[in-house]
Amino acid sequence: MADLSRFNLRDRFGDWWDETSPIQRGFTRVFVIALFYALPLINNPVIDTPETSFQSVLFYPLVMFSLMAVGLNVVVGKSGILDLGYVAFFAIGAYTYAMFALKTSLNFWEILPLAMGFAMLAGVILGLPALRLRGDYLAIITLGFGEIVRIVAINTEAIGGAAGLTSIPGPPAFFGHEFTVMDPRPYYWLTLTLLSLVIWGVLRLSHRKPGRAWEAIREDEDVAEFMGVSTLKYKLWAFIIGGAVGGAAGAVYASQIRSIQPEMFTLNLSIMILACVVFGGMGNIWGVILGAVLLGYLPEKLRFLSETRIIFFGLLMVVMMNIRPNGLLPRKKREVVKEKS
Amino acid sequence: MSAHQGDTKILEIKDLLVKFGGVTALDSVNLHVSEGEIAALIGPNGAGKTTVFNIVTGYYTPVSGSVTVEGNSMIGLRPYKIARSGLARTFQNIRLFGDMTALENVATAADALNKSGLVGSLFGVPRSRRDEKRSMEKAHELLTFIGLEHRAGQLSRNLPYGDQRRLEIARALALEPKVLLLDEPAAGFNPQEKVELGELIKKIRDRGHAVLLIEHDMSLVMKISDRVSVLDFGKKIAEGTPSEIQNDQRVIDAYLGVVEDAS
Repeated sequence: MADLSRFNLRDRFGDWWDETSPIQRGFTRVFVIALFYALPLINNPVIDTPETSFQSVLFYPLVMFSLMAVGLNVVVGKSGILDLGYVAFFAIGAYTYAMFALKTSLNFWEILPLAMGFAMLAGVILGLPALRLRGDYLAIITLGFGEIVRIVAINTEAIGGAAGLTSIPGPPAFFGHEFTVMDPRPYYWLTLTLLSLVIWGVLRLSHRKPGRAWEAIREDEDVAEFMGVSTLKYKLWAFIIGGAVGGAAGAVYASQIRSIQPEMFTLNLSIMILACVVFGGMGNIWGVILGAVLLGYLPEKLRFLSETRIIFFGLLMVVMMNIRPNGLLPRKKREVVKEKS
Repeated sequence: MSAHQGDTKILEIKDLLVKFGGVTALDSVNLHVSEGEIAALIGPNGAGKTTVFNIVTGYYTPVSGSVTVEGNSMIGLRPYKIARSGLARTFQNIRLFGDMTALENVATAADALNKSGLVGSLFGVPRSRRDEKRSMEKAHELLTFIGLEHRAGQLSRNLPYGDQRRLEIARALALEPKVLLLDEPAAGFNPQEKVELGELIKKIRDRGHAVLLIEHDMSLVMKISDRVSVLDFGKKIAEGTPSEIQNDQRVIDAYLGVVEDAS
């Protein structure tokens, strides 16, 4: 019998998962992934959103927020670095895609790595000076970085200035799936694929040396350093990985929306993604995704309340943070308690 | 004193001068730890014992003086490099990675000696797999050595106090230190636990790690140390075998106070 004092859904699921065979696990994974790929095909008034089509909500904000939240989670949740300017990487990805797509003959698949590369480079440029600071000071610098990127974009005529960039080409057809403006589903599937790859990568890193180094830094940066962890290197890696994911998200977003303006990349978006991470459960990748999905979905579902919905949204956040300050699915690890033999 | 003791000085601290603002925390301090030795550093509260550890491990930089490990200077190196070159420490107030399991705490330090990088870990290249296996085996081996194998999967912040102290030692040992720096490891222990700790420290010495011990419990210090150095107000006032130190008038004065001469 399960010990009742330890009963919770996470342990329940964990115990079940530990007992399954690799074949069962494989089937479960395929089933869950297939379910998510099938979501745009569902047409149900209960989950449908008013005003915006459910397919389009699935792409933005749901899967887009999820992707960004998973990226930001590496920085904020895993390594404990408060980053208030995550939107900068999203913007750099979007602008990189837009500029290369407009000025060169490269297609989406060729520009995507470039967009990630530029965002990673931005991570290094921001990280090298900023990561020598800690806590509040670091948070302020990241906040400033987010604003600088936006303001530079407004004032640089070469990348469209305040008017932004328009008529950005979309990705080429992929195995018969046309990426058109009217149909958000291919973009959803594309982002879902990216998200799956990022989850795979982040989980792999989390269970190995880099994951332990990040957690140690989050728990006590000085002690991590005393225990031989090159804290600057791993904090920089967290920035680079977070940046790459944000950059990829930006590139996909620009290819779907077809026109971008600097005012799309405000502090609000950074705060929103950070809220997804904190609301869902800092440091827990599944919690973060749940947070992103809920925080993306609720404002769309509550559209019938028009502008007052933001108040309800805020109220929900306040209540939730009081009931579960560590998020919906906290990062707390499963403990394996062995009796001393 | 001990059969293990060699003449080779592993850790050498020379003419250390440390100031915090206008306060001189350490003044021309000379210390050394030889191979196979348990050296102790004692002194009243505020004498500068923990400051010695913080200098040696690179947390503070001294105004002048040298710190060498097997002849290599440690001054100016980042703490993580010093940790990898053979100096590992524990903390007076326990500082474990609370949200990590006991095993992960030790494995994090064991990782430091592995060369494989993040990209290798991501793609699971053979070297990273070998390193991962090595870290885990070493962490399990050390938990067994320290008697905490049954706690491997528990979060370190949920461990009993004594186990937390021992886990800190295991974590430091994962760095394969040439000199293990223990900062008041017996604090909060009952007499029985202190005896066990003394045995553990000897076992650590027998594994090939020299030990530098800061401790207030005199019976423990006198029983296990090969050599004792005494700090008072940032100066080394005595050094010798435990019996020499116990009979040293300056040490007795430092601990009990001197009647000031009115003249």
